[in-house]
Amino acid sequence: MKLKKDRVNEEIPTSSMADIAFLLIIYFMVTTTFAATRGLDFALPKDDDNPPQVEKEESVLIEIQAGGRLVVDTKPMQLDAILEYLKPKLARNPMKPVIIRPLEGSFYGHMVDVFDELRQAKDKMGFEVKNISIPTQREIDQFWY
Amino acid sequence: MKLASRSTQNPGIPTASMADIAFLLIIFFMVTISFEVDKTQVVLPKTAIRLEVPKKAAYISITENGQIRVSSGEEISVPVSGPEDVLSFAAGVVAMDPTKEFVLKADHDVPYRYIDRVIDALKQAKARTIFLLSLQETVDDKGSEGG
Repeated sequence: MKLKKDRVNEEIPTSSMADIAFLLIIYFMVTTTFAATRGLDFALPKDDDNPPQVEKEESVLIEIQAGGRLVVDTKPMQLDAILEYLKPKLARNPMKPVIIRPLEGSFYGHMVDVFDELRQAKDKMGFEVKNISIPTQREIDQFWY
Repeated sequence: MKLASRSTQNPGIPTASMADIAFLLIIFFMVTISFEVDKTQVVLPKTAIRLEVPKKAAYISITENGQIRVSSGEEISVPVSGPEDVLSFAAGVVAMDPTKEFVLKADHDVPYRYIDRVIDALKQAKARTIFLLSLQETVDDKGSEGG
């Protein structure tokens, strides 16, 4: 008489592995958010009891009026004309302060546009705007008047 | 005459490598996942210059209607009532770590006076660096601005 032996499968069952893996994928796809993790850096002045005294006439003042209109040293100007205006001035004095002053009625996006334009000076025109200042209203009240 | 038996082709789709592919995808998602400390929905301004924000930086988010939320970078952001609270928050963060960077995540349509007060609070708190969070500006964006 021939005995029939039960054969035990020696392999690890891997057929459900793909199902488990795809479930994990779906979990990560649903929970993942592509966060914006880049931006413009803006160094604040160091803690200094004696801020450098700069005459208003010695700096370039970019005013952002309501609606995003730009006035550079009392002259209305388009955003893409600013760097051309600044180039000769900064060639004479590379440390000349460039002051961005958003006025009442302007939006954050307008300030960022101007700041970004100044930061692109090196790529666009081959010079660097080293001294960008964005004074706050308190500082203006305190130091300008 | 007996013909040689035809080799039968397996009609099934080979699924043996499916798990490998799936696990590769899992690894990709696990590496790229980042748990945001601030989930405020804002329309960020677009800039051409964009630098990587340091991990664990403190976050200050400002929505279009001026609502402010803050996070020290370790935990989920909490709402604050106004810029005065930003000053006390920032002063606390700077006291713990004087070199801590702050990230300003503000909607591009926020009236600037809100931003002014927040930046002023950060200056008074002796913060050193602020990152203005932004999206990448493309050539199309420039075209639409010009036209």
